[in-house]
Amino acid sequence: MLKNSATERLAAVALVAPFVIIYCWMFVYPTVRMAQLSLTDAPLIGAGHWTGLDNYRRLFSDKVFWTAVWNTSYFVLLTVVPGTAAALGIALMVSRLSGWLQSLILTMFFLPYVLPVTVVYLIWQWLGNVQFGVLQFIVVPFVGHPVNMWRTIPWFMPWVALITIWWTNGFSILLFLAGLRNIPSEIYEAAVLDGATRRQIFTRVTWPLIWPVTVLCLTIQLILQLKIFDQVYLFALGGRTAATMVLVQYIYEQAFQRNAGGYAATIAVALFVIVVGFSVLQYQVLRMRGAR
Amino acid sequence: MIRRILLAALATTILMAGAARAAETVVWWDFLGGGDGIRMKKLIEDFNAEHAGKIQIQGTTLDWGVPFYSKVQTSTAIGQGPDVMTYHASRLPLGVSQGVLSEITDADMKAMGLSADSFNKTTWDAVHVDGKQYAVPFDTHPIVLYYNKDKLAAAGLIGADGLPSGLNGADNFLAALQKLKAGGSKWGISTVTADGSFAYRTIYSLLCQQDGQTGGDGNWFPGDNQAKLAKAVDTIASWVKAGVNPPNSDYPTTVALFTSGDAPLMINGVWEVTTMSDLAAKHKLFNWGAIELPVLFNHPCTYEDSHTLAIPNNAGKAQSPEKHAAALEVIKWLENHALFWATAGHIPANKAVTDSAEYKAMQPQATYAVAATHGIFDPRSKLAGVASPMFDAAGNSFTPALNGETSAKDAAAEMVSTMNALK
Repeated sequence: MLKNSATERLAAVALVAPFVIIYCWMFVYPTVRMAQLSLTDAPLIGAGHWTGLDNYRRLFSDKVFWTAVWNTSYFVLLTVVPGTAAALGIALMVSRLSGWLQSLILTMFFLPYVLPVTVVYLIWQWLGNVQFGVLQFIVVPFVGHPVNMWRTIPWFMPWVALITIWWTNGFSILLFLAGLRNIPSEIYEAAVLDGATRRQIFTRVTWPLIWPVTVLCLTIQLILQLKIFDQVYLFALGGRTAATMVLVQYIYEQAFQRNAGGYAATIAVALFVIVVGFSVLQYQVLRMRGAR
Repeated sequence: MIRRILLAALATTILMAGAARAAETVVWWDFLGGGDGIRMKKLIEDFNAEHAGKIQIQGTTLDWGVPFYSKVQTSTAIGQGPDVMTYHASRLPLGVSQGVLSEITDADMKAMGLSADSFNKTTWDAVHVDGKQYAVPFDTHPIVLYYNKDKLAAAGLIGADGLPSGLNGADNFLAALQKLKAGGSKWGISTVTADGSFAYRTIYSLLCQQDGQTGGDGNWFPGDNQAKLAKAVDTIASWVKAGVNPPNSDYPTTVALFTSGDAPLMINGVWEVTTMSDLAAKHKLFNWGAIELPVLFNHPCTYEDSHTLAIPNNAGKAQSPEKHAAALEVIKWLENHALFWATAGHIPANKAVTDSAEYKAMQPQATYAVAATHGIFDPRSKLAGVASPMFDAAGNSFTPALNGETSAKDAAAEMVSTMNALK
């Protein structure tokens, strides 16, 4: 049957319209409004006065903002690649098991992932408590005295990173495990017949074939960790928040505590730019690696 | 027969609907999550039982601090706020600037049978912003000194009246702490040192005890007040340095060190009274008590705040006269039943309650109630108050100094420059 291209176009528009409308309404419009807001001195609720680029000028000379940029980047550095590498390692080990033992071990690794952040916070708060915490038995022989990890600035980010990896790794492990199962066993058999060593099998077979999953994990982790907020907020509560500040936390503080909606929007725009920048960079790096 | 049952059912439904319509519902929000929250729920239950068919409180407890105040701000902006809510007196200046609160008029006060004379002057002043009243004080809650009577007695620090003695004066106090430690206690005192914004309450009290004052926007600690602030910080830091106060101690740890007997003294809010009385009721606690903060400098002075009852200014949804009357009845009833609230440790704001014989027999409440007459509230600014930028600034500046990472002088300087830069 011959189809009229005009009706075809109409059908296409009708099918795409729901998505486009919702996308414009729920994403594009708020984003534009946020950018507009960043040019005003608006409070959290209600309109403000147009202040031009004042907020941006303030942003560039704001020490806490730059601390937040550094802390967020540092956190990304500490979690994304190490976390993904740990997940791959664990997945490789778990995949060598079989039957109920594999399920059991996998469950154990996945368990932290289902915990809400408040529970994670309380568990580690107790474990690390400077007076009663069991972790101090490990810390004291190395440092000589108990350390409050959440108040000693150089310890803060690495600890939060470690806890975050412990907490969120289950999902990456699951993705890697699915990827490993998708590699046909014939390839491994052929490699063994050709006399490949374990190391060669990993670098020549497993690694290239698992690469797409690795890219997926890295991307998910990057976007997730750039938006770090809850762990840092909870662990730093009442302490030296200006030194441990991360970007989303700073947006929250400005908007909800300082009642500065306009300035909070400015930081949000900056975060948006940073996320886009990181994503493009990562995409390019990963594409280069993939093309090799 | 069936028809009669149907008719009866219909009649009952109509009657019940009528009754339900007659009962005014008062939506209530509070941020009371601890032992005091349990007591508030009991008060609300009692109110509802007493006002069955007339007024019913529909209570919700939200998270203390910024989450509560954000929720109030956003919901009142769209007319979805509660009818009555708890509010910290120290947050009222910020709340008024956000347009969150309705004024309490003289007619309202008259309807509740209350007046300025019902409250302490400092507390009464604390519910006014620019000369207008925005809330009714329900309690005052200072910080107090909790003590382990057994250990203090062993160290000879209990006087003839059965109360702690020999604790006045900064040097004398430190000597007493060292004596307690020498007597076999793990620590002399337990105060929160991992959270400078909590320690701020003690530091602010010690600033006031030195006749220190806070200024306002752009000039927060004028003249020698910065030096006095440094001295206040240094006082706690000196306890940590001398090894009589645990360093980097967070809130739960601080309480645990006291209740376990490791620290015979603790500075904390009166809201911890419920923890002690509940443990004591189970015979799991030593002889304990609580007194007003000792005078470490020139005169007694203690940080305090007040839980007040306020009516939000719901945008585009003014309270109907019936609803307003019901809200006032709720406040009035609570003010008159605040004696039970005193079991939560808080000092009732209504003087009629604190003057009663029942309150005077309540221990240790009646002993530390004097603190309310020497109380000082947070500076009257929208930058100050609980969970405010000032609390954050205190957390950032004081936390390292309390634990000896920076000097008290630097901490005071940082506090001053952070506060002065705020707008």
